[in-house]
Amino acid sequence: MSDIGKVRIRVPSSIKPGDIVRVRTLVIHPMERIERDQQGRIIQRRYNYINRVVATYLGKTVVAFDITQSVSENPSLVFSFRATDPGQLKVTFEDTTGGKYEGTADIRFS
Amino acid sequence: MTGDRPISRRRMLGTLGVLGVAGATGALTLSVPRRAGAQPFGLQETVQDGLKRLFGGRPIKDGAGVIKLDVPLIAENGSVVPVSVEVSSPMTANNFVKHIYIVADQNRIPIIARATLTPEAGQASVGATVRLGETGDVRAIVEQSDGGLLQVKREVKVTVGGCGG
Amino acid sequence: MTRLVLRLIALAVLAGGCATAATDAPRGSSVPKWESRAVAPARGEFRILPDGRREQIRYKGWTTQDFGTFRTYAYGDGHPEPPVARVAMPTSLAGDPARGRALFLSRAKGPCAGCHLIPGDDVWPAGGVGPDLSTIGDRGLSDQYLYQQIYDPRLIFPNTTMPPWGGAGVFTPEEIAHLVAFLQSLKGPLPPEKDPERSPFTRSKPVGFGDNLDPTNNPAVLLADDGEALWSAKGPAGRACADCHREGPAGAMKGVATRYPTYVSAYRRVMSLEDFLTVHGPETTGHLLSAQSVDNLALTILIKMASNGLPVQVDVTSPQARAALARGRASFEKRVGQRNHACADCHTPDKGANKFLGGRLLVDVSAGLTRHFPTWRTDRGEAWDMRKRFQWCMTPLGTNMLAADAVEYAELELYLTSFDNGRPMNVPGIRH
Repeated sequence: MSDIGKVRIRVPSSIKPGDIVRVRTLVIHPMERIERDQQGRIIQRRYNYINRVVATYLGKTVVAFDITQSVSENPSLVFSFRATDPGQLKVTFEDTTGGKYEGTADIRFS
Repeated sequence: MTGDRPISRRRMLGTLGVLGVAGATGALTLSVPRRAGAQPFGLQETVQDGLKRLFGGRPIKDGAGVIKLDVPLIAENGSVVPVSVEVSSPMTANNFVKHIYIVADQNRIPIIARATLTPEAGQASVGATVRLGETGDVRAIVEQSDGGLLQVKREVKVTVGGCGG
Repeated sequence: MTRLVLRLIALAVLAGGCATAATDAPRGSSVPKWESRAVAPARGEFRILPDGRREQIRYKGWTTQDFGTFRTYAYGDGHPEPPVARVAMPTSLAGDPARGRALFLSRAKGPCAGCHLIPGDDVWPAGGVGPDLSTIGDRGLSDQYLYQQIYDPRLIFPNTTMPPWGGAGVFTPEEIAHLVAFLQSLKGPLPPEKDPERSPFTRSKPVGFGDNLDPTNNPAVLLADDGEALWSAKGPAGRACADCHREGPAGAMKGVATRYPTYVSAYRRVMSLEDFLTVHGPETTGHLLSAQSVDNLALTILIKMASNGLPVQVDVTSPQARAALARGRASFEKRVGQRNHACADCHTPDKGANKFLGGRLLVDVSAGLTRHFPTWRTDRGEAWDMRKRFQWCMTPLGTNMLAADAVEYAELELYLTSFDNGRPMNVPGIRH
């Protein structure tokens, strides 16, 4: 996949006030693994991987993740939040090279 | 999962319209601000060193019955292993789950991820797709708002290719 | 210039094989020659190194090893099946059971444990395609019998799925003697099995990778976005797909993919949807859409998703389809490569299908294997169509790959897809 930073967020199609909403989100990212040279020594360089993920709802952080190179390529993360009011859910991914990728979902009640 | 059903791409796009899910901005900022007081993550260490670094000598109790750790017994492919952790917790302002750690004992970077939760999460439930270098225990370690630590673990057997395919 | 030379070399190799092809490929001569429209690493071409060695051009990160001395799926391939070897175990060889065990488990060799269970907690993941050898030493078989069985089992079992390890040069006579000594040392009674997952006969089935149509679970779904952008982008000829197919991809393409692969009379050959795009793009919008290009893959996923849920209905009755199916089936059953394996060895229920090869459950051709392709491969982090999957299979078989858009692969894909008929399409899939 070429497009680093594509974000997808999935929330249930029907949400009621007070529901605990389970969210699944994915970002396209290589999450570079540690490489070794021919002698098996670790190659020291700044690897590009996402290390911080923050989910906010109505501007307030509901969950944050510190993640590492032990997380898979194109990471998929799951979390929950309690939907109290209509408004925006935002997930921000930051990688070790300064890349910042966002996805949003408007939470509405039905 | 909640009540959300498998959906087709068509339906997904329709749903996106209603819910207004936007794509990525993909914007690049030039520096990563160092978070004050952040624990170092992503270190290569043994699991014992990692746990000592994070928790000092604090006791970690058996969390069976409180923590539900869902991992496949066999990972057909160690590079994408879904792990999910659900903790029974009222998630109120004075009694909630503060952190959930996902740990793989045999990984070179054993402390895989830390989720930091707030009472607004409503439910202490997180998941991630992780890499497992080899067969070994996967642990979920929970830090409660009162500082108490609980853990459960399960062995995951990692499959290496049958014959290249 | 160099490119032209390479092409000529590749053509010469193909032409060289043609002379002796008649007996090998049923009605192979009626299949027209096809100039590949694939991207460079997907054309199955070769390059000659400065030291004179030949290597095959494959995808980035794949082996470049040339398996040129072994049979391929090319209809023009002239290699006969290696003759069955009758061998006597050299009396001078004294086998060492410990070395034999290491060879049995060596991933650089078979590994034998990919198909056969032996005792030991370190044996993981053993497969169950072949017999459980945990107590074979109790059976009173002679060293000579076991030696022959490893060197070339076809002498005793003509229809075996086991490769002729000695004849193929994977194990030397000395190594086979170590294996024989090891097998003779495997005697009962066995301790009770502590872990049901260790044995391929009691291991639970893999659980899969979740909802394949959820874009937060299957990154291949996101490729359809790229396909949509291409759909409405004007090509060099000034037109877009959308200019002729006016209902949009979901409407205009609904059901189209259920009929591929199919015989396309304009090109006198069977084509998959991917193959058809390589000719249809240049003829209409001017988009190249080369086989195994990102654009070809993205449009294929978009178009196939428009048929999701609809039953596959490839033509299996026209004279052209019947002829192609016969050739496709012959390919499926043809033994190729260093290991002298056929697709059928792993994927028919009377042989390896539904059994574990190492830790992986082999799929069954009769269940239909193609209707979820292109599919996301979690261990590669890429979406692959059926052809790249075929090309990937070639390396463990020890045979050179053909061009992704080769007629041979198209007819093999048609044969496989005939088993999907009547079953719902479900693209993109997600697999390990």
